[in-house]
This record gives sequence, C-alpha cells and structure tokens, in this order.
Amino acid sequence: MMNPILTFLVVLIGLYGLSTSKNIIKSVFCVTITEAGVILLFLNLGNFEGGSVPIFLEGLAEIVDPLPQALMITTIVIGSTVTALALMLCIKIFHHFGTVEWEEVLRDRGDL
Amino acid sequence: MVILVIKNGLLIALLLVLLGAFYFSVQDLELMYNTFAKNYYLENGFYQTYARNLVTGIYLDYRLFDSIFEAGILLIAVSGILWISKQDIEKHNVHFMLDKFKTPDLFVMFARIVYPLMLVFGFYVIVNGHISPGGGFQGGAIVATAILILYYIDPNKETDPTFIVSIEKIVFLLIIGFATISIVTKGTMFTNPFTVDNIEVQSIYLLLMNILIGVKVALGLWTIFTAFLKEGR
Repeated sequence: MMNPILTFLVVLIGLYGLSTSKNIIKSVFCVTITEAGVILLFLNLGNFEGGSVPIFLEGLAEIVDPLPQALMITTIVIGSTVTALALMLCIKIFHHFGTVEWEEVLRDRGDL
Repeated sequence: MVILVIKNGLLIALLLVLLGAFYFSVQDLELMYNTFAKNYYLENGFYQTYARNLVTGIYLDYRLFDSIFEAGILLIAVSGILWISKQDIEKHNVHFMLDKFKTPDLFVMFARIVYPLMLVFGFYVIVNGHISPGGGFQGGAIVATAILILYYIDPNKETDPTFIVSIEKIVFLLIIGFATISIVTKGTMFTNPFTVDNIEVQSIYLLLMNILIGVKVALGLWTIFTAFLKEGR
C-alpha cells in the first residue's frame, strides 16, 4: 500500500519541478523524473517480496508479473527518444536566442 | 514576493489534492490487480513462444505489434532530430565538439581497453535475449554506448548521420517484413512464422528478431549521438 504512494510522490516532484523551473533544460529533466515515477509505479504492480525474475525454468513457480516489465521497455525507449528530441530543441533555442531561461526566451519572442 | 509565495502555496495545495485523489483511488489496488495474466504466461508462455525469458516472449510474440511501433517511434524521433539539426547547418562551421587535447589521456587509454569488451557484452545481451535477461532494446543501447566511446578514442572520425538513418529505415522494413511472414505459414500476422515443433528451430525467429531490433536501436542512438556532437560548436 505504501509503495504506490511513494512512487506517486516521485511523479509529484517531477510535476512541481515542471511548474516552477525557470530553465528549459531543467524542465526536460523534470519530464524525465515524472516518467521515472510512472515506470516505478508499473514495475511495483506485479512485484512482491521474494519473487524471482520472469525467466522460465523447471520447477519455478513464484515469478513476478512479466507484463508490466514488457510494457515498461516501451516506455523507457520512447522516453529516451523524447528526451533527446527535447534537448535538441533546447540546443536550437540556445543558438537562436542565446539563452535557455524561460522568461528571457519569452521576452525575446514578445510573449511576456 | 507575496504573489510568488501564494502561487507556490497554491501549486503545493494542488499537488496535495492530486496525492489525496491518488491515495483514495489505489485503496482497493489488490482488487483491481489480478494474477490471471501472470499465471497464463507462466503456464503457456514457454510452449507458445519458445522463449525462456517471458518478457522477450511477450514483446516479440504476444505484443509484437506494440514493439514494431515502438521501433517506429524511435525511427520517427531520430528523423525529427536530424531534421531539426539540419535546418541551419550551412550557417555554421560544423566540426566535432570533442577535442583530443582536452580529453584526459587516462580516459582515452581505458576507453581503448573497455571498448571491445562493451561491444562483446552488447552482442551477448542481444543474442541471449530469449534465454537470459536482456534483449534487442537493451543490447542495442549498450552497443550504441560502445560506439560513443569510439568518438572519444578518435575524435576526427567523420560519420554521415543521413546514411545511418537510411540503413535504419531498411532494418525497420526488414523487421516489419519478417513479422509479416507468419501470415503465409500460420494465417495470422505478427507471430512466430515457424510451424515446426522444435525449440531450436523456433528460437531462430526470436534470435533474428532480437538481432534486427538491436541493430536498429544501436543505429538510432548512434544517429542521436552524432547529431548532438555536430551541434556542439
């Protein structure tokens, strides 16, 4: 019961950072933290004390659930590509505006 | 200053409301979560997919459709990164960010020792993906990391990311083609095409699929590295 709450706290830390960070690269990191919380939440679902890895061997009964693990491979790969794409956009923003601070970029664009 | 404190307090209150909502929604988690799928995979997984590693059996047989689009999303993201980084490539003088004289000699020396070991370990993880922990995605990431170390050893090495992406597209088409063969032999798409009831024959499919996915992931991550290195100037 306590583990899902703790993993959701990681998600909330990521959301708080996403709302308050003034640097674009820190925002990208916060997206990664949020994603890590979601991954922990799913891996925690099928896990239990004393469970072994989901590899089929003779006489093996107590394995953890393999389905969340297979789903989280997808999440990790997609998350890494999204992070790479966001960081490349950060580099482009730096080359164009000369800064990666949200407020300065918005001021330069005339949105603030 | 006061406005900032009020904003922060409101934000924290909102997050606490979210936490409370989550707490009350997972109250009956034991009722929502059941082990039917786990027991099904444990009983039938090995005899239907011939993969000792049940995770590999799931993402290469039961949920191959998901895995194909996962590889497709990687390809789309890599193409997007290349497209974004190409926009003003003529305006600047493009050269690699890594400078041989700034890299410590000790690091280069150890990179030379570690590089072949990492490459072999990556291939081991890819090839043994269906009988031990590992698989195409993880092994491909290890191989791509080894290739990144190669840039530190020889910073003057030039790579054309467009060419690597072309190979990656061909490998992606091979994955889709290999997954579609089973419509001829079994009548359903996206499953193991071999009908012989022999574990060695059936393992060929898992092995080839893991190798193809590993090559694709390694090429994709290699392209991302190269695009980032070309941006540093």
